[in-house]
Amino acid sequence: RGLRRCLMSMNLHRVEESFRGIKTAIQAKDTFQNVTILSPSETLHGTQPLDVCCVTKNLLAFYVDRVFKDHQELSPQIMRKISSLANSFLYMQKTLQQCQKLCHCRQEATNATRIIHDNYDQLEVRSAAIKALGELDVFLAWIDKHHGGTSAA
Amino acid sequence: DGAAVLPAPQNLSVRSVNMKHVLTWSPVIVPEEIIHYSVEYQGEYESLYMSHIWIPSSWCSPTQRPECDITEDITATVSYSLRVRATLGSLTSAWSTLKHRFNQNSTILTPPRMEITMDGFHLLIKLEDLGPHFEFFVSYWRKEPGAKEHVKVVRPGVLPVYLEMVEPGAAYCVKARTFVKAIGRHSAFSQPECVKVQGEALPL
Repeated sequence: RGLRRCLMSMNLHRVEESFRGIKTAIQAKDTFQNVTILSPSETLHGTQPLDVCCVTKNLLAFYVDRVFKDHQELSPQIMRKISSLANSFLYMQKTLQQCQKLCHCRQEATNATRIIHDNYDQLEVRSAAIKALGELDVFLAWIDKHHGGTSAA
Repeated sequence: DGAAVLPAPQNLSVRSVNMKHVLTWSPVIVPEEIIHYSVEYQGEYESLYMSHIWIPSSWCSPTQRPECDITEDITATVSYSLRVRATLGSLTSAWSTLKHRFNQNSTILTPPRMEITMDGFHLLIKLEDLGPHFEFFVSYWRKEPGAKEHVKVVRPGVLPVYLEMVEPGAAYCVKARTFVKAIGRHSAFSQPECVKVQGEALPL
């Protein structure tokens, strides 16, 4: 299955909507404004078409295995939005698994992901989770750009 | 410990039609008392990574009715666990959990209701508004032997839809079905509806 067709069933519109619902509240809790985790210039900007699938897979795993788990939330409204994001990312992971044959990981893609994990490890875990959640729009914009057309639902 | 005195709600089930999901259960009856219920859910993510986390549903924490619209809580095509408990003052029942996890890809998709109209010599179709998840595949043809069938994809919110110019005296038929990208499924086609255009057929 072509990568785009593989991801076409993703409901990115709803993911973006869920993020808009928490963006202000989450970014307001980010106390390290001069530091970034996804840091577009170093990691995501120069992604080659060959590396799109691997970077997508790695960043989905970053959020599913680390960020959503590390974040602790008390507000039911925000909990619902984060649950929506986490379960949508889980679904995207499953969808991507159908593209395993197309998802080669070159060194460039692995390096880009490692920088993100290193940035994350520089901060205390709760602060890091808050910052990475607040930077979700960077990742969503990147997905939209590289998997264009998946956002219409 | 008041937790176990109140009986827990029974017979939980989900009724899902056209991506509208309603959790129902048998009411807990205590004569002359008003029982409140609280509904919580857990997506597949929470079950896998944070199994202690249950999320209060958007509309039913609490509610007095023995049902809950969980459509806004089911936001991904993964499986969800749902639970309900009853409350009467300080008394709280045990949680009752839905026996089988629910996934929105099991929703029942019905053929869409439609209305065929004419605007002069333009054939128009008005389709049931089923919400942002739904696209429509509209099939239409001229009612004569060997007529070609045309298909038009209608995005959510684009209604009514112009289909084609028609000729006086001719008859045209239309049918439609829905498609939900989020679950990759479509409904059955509606029954074809045919209309006859006023006026004399044009000479050949």
